[in-house]
Order: sequence, then C-alpha cells, then structure tokens
Amino acid sequence: MIKIDSNTKKTLMDLYLKKGIGLEGNITKLIDTENDEDFKKYLKDCETKDGDKRKKRLEMTKKIQKQNEELVTLNEKNEKMMEDLQNKITEIEESKLTFEVQNRELNEWKKENLELTEKLQTEMMKAEKARVDAEAAKQNAENDLDLLQKKTQNELISTIVKVALWVIMGVGVVTTGVYVLTLFVGKDTQVISAAWSNIFGILLTNAFSIVGTIMGIKYATENKQ
Amino acid sequence: MIDSILLVDDEDLFHLVFEDACSLLDISLSLNALNSSDEAAKLFQKWFEDGDNNDKPECVFVDLNIIGSSFDGIELIRKINFEYGNHVVVGIISSSNEPEEQAKAIQAGAQFWIIKSDDIEPRLEEFRNDYEGYKNRTLPFKVYK
Repeated sequence: MIKIDSNTKKTLMDLYLKKGIGLEGNITKLIDTENDEDFKKYLKDCETKDGDKRKKRLEMTKKIQKQNEELVTLNEKNEKMMEDLQNKITEIEESKLTFEVQNRELNEWKKENLELTEKLQTEMMKAEKARVDAEAAKQNAENDLDLLQKKTQNELISTIVKVALWVIMGVGVVTTGVYVLTLFVGKDTQVISAAWSNIFGILLTNAFSIVGTIMGIKYATENKQ
Repeated sequence: MIDSILLVDDEDLFHLVFEDACSLLDISLSLNALNSSDEAAKLFQKWFEDGDNNDKPECVFVDLNIIGSSFDGIELIRKINFEYGNHVVVGIISSSNEPEEQAKAIQAGAQFWIIKSDDIEPRLEEFRNDYEGYKNRTLPFKVYK
C-alpha cells in the first residue's frame, strides 16, 4: 500500500473541492488512508466518480462495439447482395448471349425455311405444269385413240362396203353372164331373165340398204361424241 | 483480486470494455492488452528464456480467432502451456461457443472459456469468484455462458 503525507493529502483534497479534480484509476485502491476519515471519504468519492466515468465509458464502448458489429453484419450483407447482383448480371449476360445465339439460329432457320418454301413453290409450279402437261397428253392420247377408233371404224366400214359391193357386183356379173350365155346358146330365157331382173333388183336394194345403214351409224356415232 | 491480467485480442474496442469491466468489478489492478498472438508468444518466450517471472501476468485471456496473427488463440495457449511453462491461469474469451473448439482448447490446456457478449460483467464476476480454483488447479474446465 502507498502512504501519503498529510500535506499532500490536504493538497489533493483541496484540488478536489475547488476544481473537482481527483485521483483516477486503480491507484486509489493502493493508497493507505491511515484511518484518516476525511482522506478516506476523499478516496471513496474519487473511486465513485471514477467508477461512474468507467460505467459511462463502458456503456459507450459497448454501444460502439455493437454498432461496429452491426456495420460488419451490414457490410457482409451488402457484400453478399453485391455478389448476388454480380451473379445475376452474369446470368443475364449469359442469357443474353444464349438469346442472341438462339435468335441467330432462328434467323438461319427462317432463311432456310424461306429458301425451302421458294423451292417448294417452284417444285409445286413444276408439278402443276407437269399435271397440266399430263392432262394435255392424256387429252391428246384420248383424241388419238378416238381418232384411231374412228379410223378403224371407217376402215372396217370401208372394207364391209367394198366386200358388199364386190359381192353385189360379183353376183350381178355372174347372173348377167349366165343370162348372156343363155341368150347366145339359144335356150329358153324366160326363167333366167325373170331371175336376173329379180336378183338385180334385190342386189340394188341391198346395196342401197347397206350404204344407208353405214351412213346412219356414222351419223349416230358423231352425235354421241 | 488478480494481480495482473494479459488480454490477447485483435479488437481494440474490446480492450476498453474488458479494462473497464475488470476495474468496476475489482478483478485486477493491472491489465495489459495485446493485439496479436505472435506478440504474446514472443513475450512468453522471452520470460521463459530469461527466467524472469516478475513481468509475467498471473492470468491470460486469449481470443479464439485473432485476425492478423500467424496462429489462433488455442495454439497460443498450447505454446504458453507446453513451450513456455504453464505457470499462468489461461483461457479463451470468444463469441464462439463451438464444442469442437472447446475440446481443442482443453487439449491445449485452457482452463476456462468465457463467451463474449454485451453483458460480459456477470460472467467476469463469476470467473472472479472461481479464480482461486483455477490458480490452485483444482477447478475443471468451465464455460461461462
């Protein structure tokens, strides 16, 4: 313990009374009062004053410490937010790039699609032309077939007419020949002449009948078409 | 009352809090504070090599994570106990309450673990009451929550 002489004690107590300046800190706990009641009271007052000051400082320091901790927490949150923001920006940038790539691909597809459409239209036009050509070819073929059929019909009719005429002419010539021969030989021509005129009439009738029938068929065929 | 205390903590504001709290609670007359575990280790090494125990503190409070230091509080306690002599009462003062870290601290020779918070005075008061047990090495490791 520290011992202090009476003069110093008096000076210290006067200073405290006049100017409020007293001893501070743990030194007050190390001074021996030597049962001096006034000095004991002085030291007690100094300790109380010092304690009050320390209490006040402790509260302030704690408050500042708490504020610092809050600031650190806020700073951490801020850094986290900045990091999140940066990540979002990076994500957006990546999305933008992806969109650009997709857009480019879509444009390419669109271009390809347009080209394909153009090609398709060309091919459709070609196909349409081919269809029209085919239709025309079909029509031509049908016409040719019809013509061929008509030609065949005509040829057949012509042949029938020719054959019929040849038959008629043959029968006429033979009958006439037999009649002429009978006349030269001097035989009875009563029967043969009647038969000749009769058969000649029949032949002529038949010949006109054939021609009439053929003309009728031809007329009917043309009307049907 | 503890003769002298050494606080090793990187937070200057806590030095003031601790000093005022110790003074108000009459825990110690003398308190020194350091910001780094390297600095504290050097001092203990010097005291150990010189064999000078006059300046050596009676009790050491060490923060768990000391920013700006080569090693943490547990390593400092291990060094104090196993490299530079274990003639001091030493423990952790930290805001952490991790049982794994506390187990490591016990391994390193820590005698107590005080959890830092706004209301530190009741814990320091409780520690003051238990101090003789730590000094005599009769009290087991204790966490002041």
